Amino acid sequence: MKLKDLVREFGLEVKAGAGLLDRDVTGGYVSDLMSDVLAHAVDGNVWVTLHIHQNIVAVAAHKGLAGIILVQGRQPEKDTVAKAAEEGIPVMVSAFPAFELVGRLYKAGIRGA
Amino acid sequence: MATEPRLTKTQELVYEITVSEAMAADVVTVGPDQTMADLRIIMRDNRISGTPVVEDGRLVGMISIEDLINALLNNDIDAPIREKMTTKVECFYADEPLVHTFAKFSKYGHSRYPVLERDGRLAGIITKGNVVQGLLKKLEIEFEITEAKQGSSRRDRPTIRKFFEDVYADEISFTFKYLVAGQNLKGTGKAASELKSALKILGVCPSLLRRIGVATYEAEINLASYTKGGEIRALVEKWGITVEAIDGGPGIPDVELAMQPGYSTAPDWVRELGFGAGMGLVNIKKCSDEMELKSSVPEGTHLTMKFYYTS
Amino acid sequence: MALLTLRAVKKALGAETIFGDELLDAIEVDSCYSADLMSDVLARSRANGVLLTGLTNPQAVRTAEMADIKAVCFVRGKKIDNGTIQLAREKNIPLLVTKLTMFEACGILYQAGLRGVPE
Repeated sequence: MKLKDLVREFGLEVKAGAGLLDRDVTGGYVSDLMSDVLAHAVDGNVWVTLHIHQNIVAVAAHKGLAGIILVQGRQPEKDTVAKAAEEGIPVMVSAFPAFELVGRLYKAGIRGA
Repeated sequence: MATEPRLTKTQELVYEITVSEAMAADVVTVGPDQTMADLRIIMRDNRISGTPVVEDGRLVGMISIEDLINALLNNDIDAPIREKMTTKVECFYADEPLVHTFAKFSKYGHSRYPVLERDGRLAGIITKGNVVQGLLKKLEIEFEITEAKQGSSRRDRPTIRKFFEDVYADEISFTFKYLVAGQNLKGTGKAASELKSALKILGVCPSLLRRIGVATYEAEINLASYTKGGEIRALVEKWGITVEAIDGGPGIPDVELAMQPGYSTAPDWVRELGFGAGMGLVNIKKCSDEMELKSSVPEGTHLTMKFYYTS
Repeated sequence: MALLTLRAVKKALGAETIFGDELLDAIEVDSCYSADLMSDVLARSRANGVLLTGLTNPQAVRTAEMADIKAVCFVRGKKIDNGTIQLAREKNIPLLVTKLTMFEACGILYQAGLRGVPE
């Protein structure tokens, strides 16, 4: 499954990296602890979090993640969008809380790392 | 296990209830000088099969349908009752425990016994049916009392609003004060927890308890994360509850900026503990009915949250 | 939206009980909230649900207590602080731990019928 499939399927709002949505998604990771993501997320995962500050882009780039989905309609900070464009990390927004979004991703066939 | 107390309760009832509570007090009686023919009509009209014979208010004997049948068979229907009645009568006193009747009913096989006051006047009669009915009625009353107690405890469960309606003074309030240490999240939440418990005891409803608990906890987290320490005060009044968080510095330079969702100056140690996402003050605002944040650098910050009792 | 006993939640996640195993049959939940940020849980969760989190310090239990959450399940088989267990015992809030990642745990509980938002 590709990022663009998720965008279409789950009505995600694309905030950065609109040209990079052909990326394959290898699995999902959901966490709000940077150290946890750094330690356990896997290359090509889509990361679900409620953090909106630019550190998330650095973490995603470092781990080679496919993209980031922010939950509960939380809008990324300006710096986050700029940095995401620079690093080539797609940032998307879902209106759902994490549990609800991940439940649906799982139902669609995406599995944990 | 479950039947044991119930059994005990029934036993208690049998001893508690007196003969007078179970007997029929409204008794048809006959006089000794009435005839057996009179008795026949009285029995037929009242659908009874036996009755006490009373003279001057005192019991002198018992006369039954058997006696009547014998009189009919012997063609003695015009004889006075006095001649046909049983004078050696087993009877009960009105104030005896009902349990005493059980033995006599089984021992003598009579279906009814007269009941006397201690001074010898006739108080009523008692049949097996009366015994059973009396017990059932008593059980029912006990049941109703228990029900009523439970019902009232449900209905009249104390609520904070009810409390303020029921008591009067020119001014009524409760104050709760908790000290919160700064620069340390260990044990943070204790003040919010204690306050929530206290307000629960006072009868604050669950949804309001949740709002106050969450807002107070966030305020406490702020005191512990960013300040030198301070205190949380709660004032419970007739109209609602005020919770204040007051610290001794360093103060917030830009209150408006601090109120913006996502704005945070949290150090990493706070973030890794699950806070510091710039949601605390937003959360407090959402939970409280009114919120005021005053701060000056370096004196400190004074947060006031108000919560109204709603339906 | 389904009602699940905590026992069923435990079974679905292949979880272990850290505290309160005797409470699991009597408590039912219909919703789940997953987050590592406690402010988020405090702000958005619903009462009477279960909390999935990777945060293992006592603040997770304190948050559950304040937000009227029925139980906390820790993910990725984390080692739980003693202070956390102590507080759970004090407040009578059952604690579970599953070896699954938060992502997998969310997916499985969603499939089992729990929801994150009112339907």
